Amino acid sequence: MQRLVVIGAGMASGRVLETLFETDPDAFAVTLFNAEPRGNYNRIMLSPVLSGEKSFEEIVTHSDDWYGEHKVTCRFGEKVVAIDRARKVVVGEKGEVPYDRLIVATGSVPFIVPVEGRDLDGVITYRDLDDTNRMIEASGRPGSRAVVIGGGLLGLEAAAGLRLRGMEVTVLHLSGHLMDRQLDEAAGYLLRKDLEKRGIAVMTRASTERILGDTRVEAVELADGTRLEADLVVMAVGIRPSVEIARAAGLAVNRAIVVDAQMRTSDPDIYAVGECVEFNGTLFGLVAPLYEQAKVLANCLVGKPGSFSVRELSTKLKVTGCDLFSAGDFSVGEGREEIVLRDPSQGVYRRLVIENDRLVGAVMYGDTGDANWFFDLIRDGAPVAAMRETLIFGQSYQGAAPLDPMAAVAALPDDAEICGCNGVCKSKITGAITSKGLTSLDAVRVHTKASSSCGTCTGLVEQLMALTLGNAFNPQAVKPMCGCTDLGHADVRRLIVAKQLKSIPEVMQELEWKTSCGCAKCRPALNYYLIADWPGEYVDDDQSRFINERVHANIQKDGTYSVVPRMWGGITSAKELRAIADVADKFQIPTVKCTGGQRIDLLGVKKEDLPAVWADLNAAGMVSGAAYGKALRTVKTCVGTDWCRFGTQDSTGLGVRIEKFMWGSWTPAKVKMAVSGCPRNCAEATCKDVGVICTDAGYEIHFAGAAGLDIKGTEVLTQVKTEDEALEMIVALVQLYREQGHYLERIYKWLKRVGMESVRAAVVDDAEKRRFYFERFVKSQETAQRDPWADRASGGVASHEFRPMAEITFKEAAE
Amino acid sequence: MSAIMDPATATTRTFVEATEVWVPKDGRLVWSSGNYGALDAFAAVSEEKSFGKGEGLPGKAWDEARPVVLKAFDGSYFQRAEAARAAGLTSAVAVPVFAGSELKAVVVVLCADDDQRTGAIEVWCEANGLLMLDDGYYGAARHFEWVSQHTHFPPGQGLPGGVWAANAPMLMRDLGSGYRFIRADSAGKAGLTTGLGLPIAVPGRQTYVLTLLSARGTPIARRFELWNARSSRSGAASEAALADGICQREGPLWNDEHERRVAAWQGPIGEVLGTGLPLVKYDTALLTAGYASMVALPIYRDGTLAHVVAWYY
Ligand SMILES: Cc1cc2nc3c(=O)[nH]c(=O)nc-3n(C[C@H](O)[C@H](O)[C@H](O)COP(=O)(O)OP(=O)(O)OC[C@H]3O[C@@H](n4cnc5c(N)ncnc54)[C@H](O)[C@@H]3O)c2cc1C
Repeated sequence: MQRLVVIGAGMASGRVLETLFETDPDAFAVTLFNAEPRGNYNRIMLSPVLSGEKSFEEIVTHSDDWYGEHKVTCRFGEKVVAIDRARKVVVGEKGEVPYDRLIVATGSVPFIVPVEGRDLDGVITYRDLDDTNRMIEASGRPGSRAVVIGGGLLGLEAAAGLRLRGMEVTVLHLSGHLMDRQLDEAAGYLLRKDLEKRGIAVMTRASTERILGDTRVEAVELADGTRLEADLVVMAVGIRPSVEIARAAGLAVNRAIVVDAQMRTSDPDIYAVGECVEFNGTLFGLVAPLYEQAKVLANCLVGKPGSFSVRELSTKLKVTGCDLFSAGDFSVGEGREEIVLRDPSQGVYRRLVIENDRLVGAVMYGDTGDANWFFDLIRDGAPVAAMRETLIFGQSYQGAAPLDPMAAVAALPDDAEICGCNGVCKSKITGAITSKGLTSLDAVRVHTKASSSCGTCTGLVEQLMALTLGNAFNPQAVKPMCGCTDLGHADVRRLIVAKQLKSIPEVMQELEWKTSCGCAKCRPALNYYLIADWPGEYVDDDQSRFINERVHANIQKDGTYSVVPRMWGGITSAKELRAIADVADKFQIPTVKCTGGQRIDLLGVKKEDLPAVWADLNAAGMVSGAAYGKALRTVKTCVGTDWCRFGTQDSTGLGVRIEKFMWGSWTPAKVKMAVSGCPRNCAEATCKDVGVICTDAGYEIHFAGAAGLDIKGTEVLTQVKTEDEALEMIVALVQLYREQGHYLERIYKWLKRVGMESVRAAVVDDAEKRRFYFERFVKSQETAQRDPWADRASGGVASHEFRPMAEITFKEAAE
Repeated sequence: MSAIMDPATATTRTFVEATEVWVPKDGRLVWSSGNYGALDAFAAVSEEKSFGKGEGLPGKAWDEARPVVLKAFDGSYFQRAEAARAAGLTSAVAVPVFAGSELKAVVVVLCADDDQRTGAIEVWCEANGLLMLDDGYYGAARHFEWVSQHTHFPPGQGLPGGVWAANAPMLMRDLGSGYRFIRADSAGKAGLTTGLGLPIAVPGRQTYVLTLLSARGTPIARRFELWNARSSRSGAASEAALADGICQREGPLWNDEHERRVAAWQGPIGEVLGTGLPLVKYDTALLTAGYASMVALPIYRDGTLAHVVAWYY
């Protein structure tokens, strides 16, 4: 009998042996080494063992009896330290074993984040039963806290298990959304919500700086200085193929042990299988392909044909109640279209990606009933044109007519609740429509209260009206924000506040966006609305900004940038001018120009010079002039009482004060202001978004002027007596605009839409309201007044934006 | 009793003596199915009964739209007290099954007190973001009862908190270790090993969690199955896949590689998928996996059938 030695009793080699014994039980005398002190078990089910939903006994694949029955010589708990190919022996810790054929099935080892403190007691990885037991033990101490580093499959299963066992758990994830390799942003959002519902804290974009403690772990410190107390740290950030003995034996090893389609290594008597192999440049981390490899290898050992090939994979998460599925390639790209289905009430998201009439990727959350069917479509590459309309609804819909929403509404029973906020049922609405002859949504709102609170049911109420009134119903034509939604800007803004939506993926899911991640129209708008509505809470999403706002400079037609430092109220100094001149010389900036807003524009700056230019300007005390932003740009002033014979008030002083108070705030569109010291209006305040004309009696507050494509004189909002009153009035006005304006809607257009009466009612007539808006602005300024130049000049924030193109590609490929 | 059952399992007594299903018909709850073991007289009385909303135990669960635990029959609203006394039954739990706002059925389990039978049937509900014990029946597990009354679960923690946060049934294997420490310790001492937790949907926003905690000596059941219903968007569930399960004789029932599936109307689980109603079967060993009887309960979520949970004893 030939001698077969196997190194590693894991899932892959276990399947090799099963298949081998089924095909030819007497072909080999098998010796099985395993570093773990036990035989083969279903490693993937360690997660339910951790959570208590399985016992270890249940997940043992091969019992002692099984090994006995197949006469396997088991050397469990013994590590193989070398392979001597010349003598054809395997060297175990307790002695040598000769082989005729050898299988290396050593799996992988968890990757350890190379941070200070990683060797402390209580810092563990998640790979085997011992790790699992360590976690179970740690969770047994009342009030104990765990930090899981890594929000991928393994990390989240660990987090859910530890939570179920009673720990306080925080998950740290480096990228912007959980399981970013398997899920898109929308599904990542739903997953996060589900985990948070379990009491698990999730921190994305969280980079671990160090692990603190003397001998035992005490806390984890993040790059931003946050400190998280911890009794247990679980690292689940990835795996590395276990290849040391293979490499030492001189086998061909790349990132893992190189094998051919028959699982042969570079030595014809040695095979490798499982996570320790590399095939055609591919590495493996899920069991499905390993089982395929195992079958091929077992057949090969007994001389049967077969060859391994790489196929599409799918992912599920083993956390009870988190139903997710992803398969194939769902990145966006040219020639690809997507179909998206969202059902916010049930937490359902489905997205299919189609290319050349084939389904190439699928991501699903909340309802994975059709996962296998979609997976088959992806694997088989079947054409989908014939079922395009109903594809997203799944298999049972094929051949059926597309869903008719009106039929569904018609079928609702009379007592079906339509408006959850106010508890209004169907018959109450239809009854009111007919008995009171209501024809508009507003009338229905007034009479029934339906759709008058959060507004989520508006669509349903409109369908009921269409159903009841037939042709007599004329829905108000709302211009949708963009092709991704049927909602207009006003509805989106209202719902963001009413439903407390605090991130872009959340808005898109809860408001049923028709695309997976929005478009260049809606993303910047949503980003602004969220910044304006949740100051200090919402984290600005750089990727949702246009290039100028992303790099904090204006791109010019030749690809260079223009840089405009802030000059408060148009005032500068010899020191500032000298610094500007030095910068122009140092960076060979070809053009230096005065702007209409009383600033100096440095034109023709190379992108990679931007941080250094800013650093020099910062050093001279200047900050970004926001000349690129939908934000407060400039406050232009005349010289006022200090110098001018006609001046009535300190217009320069007020201009400087306003600018210092209001800089840094984002607005729906750009905001330009001016303060003129007398009605001669040298600062041209009467064509600005907000202007002040000083008079002997005080201050005339103007707004809603325009001097661009449209030309329009300002309207007078009101008159006030003191500078303090003027400031409060202007701030309240701008805050009202910030809260009501549609993205890219200038103040004069906003006024036209909402009407002077409503603006006056909010900020002029009612002192309390005015104060309220003023204070809200002040609150939002607490976090808004950060100089973006300083952040970026230091190399901290978004430094990759400023590297020359060639280097970016290289860096990203290497990572 | 079936000949297939091994002697060890055949002789131990189970925690639950009888299980019955009541369904609405013409505005009243009428008897639909039930297993009373040897309690023929009580069965005969029950099969004849019907309850209006608010009447008796089933009517109370319907009216109050929540699971109801009743630990003493005498002098209570329980209408079959005399027959129950004669049969030795002392307590009962009634669980309403709602699909959205529609009552599908009420399941009642009846137990007999003695100082040997331990186990627990608990009802948990949310108050101020925590799950508190609403009520429970514990048989002889007195200390565990006391501990449970003084335990609460944050979302995601322990069997009740886990079921609540996941809004899905769960089957825990090892109640004696780990979560919510003192309770686990006490569970271990009471011999409670396996725990089945079920989200009980009722109209409105409140969710109840029902737990059945089973002891080795006097098990609530000897086999548990959790099925995920694959409800298509058209409403009725067309098929279900076995998500988890254990059996005293067959061991683990789950298979992570080849899911076991049933289609609507196939066997008892398929019947639940088809009718959307709970089911009690007995004396047909073929359909009850070799045990004397089985109970299969549909679990609804947002008005559609999401899971079927079955236990066999
Ligand atoms: C908690 C967890 C959950 C998972 N969930 C999933 C999932 O849901 N789906 C999925 O597809 N995959 C999942 N995986 C991944 C899956 O478990 C692996 O892909 C699979 O186990 C790899 O099989 P393998 O045989 O290559 O390696 P392993 O199963 O790791 O076996 C390798 C064995 O070799 C032994 N060994 C290593 N070096 C030596 C040596 N020098 N001498 C002797 N013995 C040695 C090791 O001790 C180990 O027992 C999960 C993994 C974990 C840890």
